[in-house]
Amino acid sequence: MAGICCGVVGESEAATPVETTSRASRRRRMELRPFKLVADAAVQSPLENGRKRQKIELDLLLPSSPRDCNNAVQNSDAKKLNGVNCNGTVKLESENSVEEEKVWPKFGMTSVCGRRRDMEDAVSIHPSFCKQSYQVQISSDIHFFGVFDGHGCSHVAMKCRDRFHEIVKEEIESWGEKAVEWKQTMERSFERMDKEVQDWTVDAKESSSCRCELQTPQCDAVGSTAVVAIVTPDKIIVANCGDSRAVLCRNGSAIPLSCDHKPDRPDELLRIQEAGGRVIYWDGPRVLGVLAMSRAIGDNYLKPFVIPDPEVTITERKCEDECLILASDGLWDVVTNDTACGVARMCLRAQKPPSPPGSPGSDAAVRGGAAESSDKACGDASILLTKLALARHSTDNVSVVVVDLKKNQQPQ
Amino acid sequence: MASAVRSPAPERETFQNFFECWLVEQNQHLQELIAASQQHHSTADDDSLCSLIKRVLENYEHYYKAKARWGKEDVLAMLSPAWTSTFKDAFLWIGGWRPIMAFHLLYFKSGLQLEDQLNELIRGMGRGDLGDLSPCQLSRIDELQAKTIKEEKEVTEKMAKHQETVADSSMLELNHLVSGNDEERGWGRCGSGEGESAMECKEEGLKEMLQRADDLRLRTLKAVIDILTPIQAVHFLIAAAPKDS
Repeated sequence: MAGICCGVVGESEAATPVETTSRASRRRRMELRPFKLVADAAVQSPLENGRKRQKIELDLLLPSSPRDCNNAVQNSDAKKLNGVNCNGTVKLESENSVEEEKVWPKFGMTSVCGRRRDMEDAVSIHPSFCKQSYQVQISSDIHFFGVFDGHGCSHVAMKCRDRFHEIVKEEIESWGEKAVEWKQTMERSFERMDKEVQDWTVDAKESSSCRCELQTPQCDAVGSTAVVAIVTPDKIIVANCGDSRAVLCRNGSAIPLSCDHKPDRPDELLRIQEAGGRVIYWDGPRVLGVLAMSRAIGDNYLKPFVIPDPEVTITERKCEDECLILASDGLWDVVTNDTACGVARMCLRAQKPPSPPGSPGSDAAVRGGAAESSDKACGDASILLTKLALARHSTDNVSVVVVDLKKNQQPQ
Repeated sequence: MASAVRSPAPERETFQNFFECWLVEQNQHLQELIAASQQHHSTADDDSLCSLIKRVLENYEHYYKAKARWGKEDVLAMLSPAWTSTFKDAFLWIGGWRPIMAFHLLYFKSGLQLEDQLNELIRGMGRGDLGDLSPCQLSRIDELQAKTIKEEKEVTEKMAKHQETVADSSMLELNHLVSGNDEERGWGRCGSGEGESAMECKEEGLKEMLQRADDLRLRTLKAVIDILTPIQAVHFLIAAAPKDS
C-alpha cells in the first residue's frame, strides 16, 4: 500500500494550503482515535507517511464507530479492510500514487442521496485488494471498484458493497499459479454473490437499518445492479449486471465497457420471452411490468426472467487511456457518456490555482477527520459529475467513481 | 401565483396582520440580498454579508416566534393558514413548507449556477456561488439531508398517530351529543368527558406537532446556511425568500 490517502469527505480544506492542513488534520484525526495509532505515524512527514503508512493512514481515517461514518471519509464498514465502502452519505476519496515501487491507483468517488428520499446506492473501492500470484516476478496489485444501485430496499446493494470484493478475491486466488480466466472468474463471483443474497439469513441487527426490515415477501422483491471493474496493470475487466455503467475515456472518446441490461434490449427481450416472461410497458419497459432492468443481483421473485449473470468485457489498457468512470443510472440518465468523459478528462487535466481564502470548506477544519490531497483531480471529477447530474434534475441517487488510468500505467 | 385568499376569521386577523408586516420586511431584506449578490466580488466583504445573513435569519426567527405565540392561542388557524393561497395550502406539511424542500431548492439553484459555469469550474475558477459547492459542503448537505428526512418522517409519523386518535374520540363525542349521556367514558386523560375538553386535548397535540414542524423548518434553514459560505448563503436565501410561509 502506498500513496497519500486523500479522501475528502465530511470536509475539505480547500481554503488553506494543502501541506499544513494535511498535517493539522492528520493530527486531529489522531487525537480522535488514539487507540488505532502506531505512534510513529504522527511524526512522519505527510509524504513519507503517505507512502509508507497507507495502512495506518487508512485506519486513521476510519471511523471508530458507525455513528462516525457520516463525517468521515470512509464508512464504518471499511474498517476491516483498506478500502472504501459507502452508502448513505457523500464519500469522496482520492488516492494518488507516489511514483516508485508500488502502483497505486488514483481515484475519486462521490455518492449522494440527491432528490430521492431513500439512499439505495452503494459504492465499494478496494485498491490492491488482491495480487495476481501467477505473475511470480511482478506480483502486481489489482484494484476493485464497484457501484451497486439497489431497488426495493438498500440491503442487497449493501451486501454487495460488503462482500463482492471478498468473493472476487477468493475466485481470483482459486486460480493459484495459473493465469486467471477473467470471464469465468467474474461469472462465478456474480453467481456466488447472488446466492449469498438469497441465502442471507436475517440478522436482527442488520435489519434495523433496513427500510423493508427484511420481511419476506418484500425481501424477495429487493435487488441491486452491480457494475464491477477490476483494474490490473494491463487490463480492465468490467462485469455488469443491470443498468449501472462503466465507461472508459480513451484519447478523448468515450468507450462504454458495459451495456445496460434494459428489458427492451432486443437480445434481452428475446431471452426473457424464451424463459416464459413478458416485458410490459408500465412507465417504460419492465420485466412483468415491475422491474425496469433485465438483470440484477437478488430479485428472487423475478427469476428466471431477471438473472444475475454478468456480461464481462476485458479491455487491454493503452497509454491513451485517461480514466474510467463507473456510475449508477442517476448519472447516466441525464449525462451522456461523451459529456461525462469530457468533464472527467478536463478535471484530470486541469491545473487548478490554489483556492482563495474563505472559499468553500474553510469552516471544515473545525470538524476534524478531514483528509486532503496533493492531487484531488479524481475527486473533483466525481463531485463535478455528481453535481452535473443533480443540476440536470436527476431524481435518483447519484454515485460516481472516477479512476485515473494515466499515471499508474506500467511500462509495457 | 394567483392566490385565492380566504376571508380570515376575526381572531386569525392578528397573525395575518403580523404576517403582512413581516413580508414587507422580508421583501426589504430580499432587495438587500439581491443587491449584495450582484455587488459581491471578493471575500473581503464577507463581514457585511454575514451581518446581512444574520439579520435575515433573525427575521425568520422572529416569524417563527410569532407563529409559535399565535399557535398557542389558535393552533387550528395556524394549521390552515388563511394568509396563503389555497394552492400553497394544498402543499403544506403541518402548517408550512416541508423541511426537505430546502435541499431540493438548494440543488435546483446550485444546478442553475453550475450549468452556467461548467467550464470555469473544471478549470477550478468557480465563482464561489452555489454552483461551486465543495466536496465537503456536498457531503455535509447530504448528511444533513438524510438527518432531515429522518426527522421529517418521525414528525409525520407522530402526526399520523395523533390524527388517528381523533377517530375514537370524535366518534365518542358524536355519540355523546346524540345520547346526551354525560357518563360516557373514554376521553382518557383528557378528563371531564366533555367534547370541548377532548377537543382541547387534541389541540394540545396539534400545537406540539406544529411546534416540532416549525422547529425543524427553522433548524434546517439555519443548518443549510451554516454549511454555505456567506455569498452562497445569500444566493440560497434569495431562492428561499418567497417560499416561506
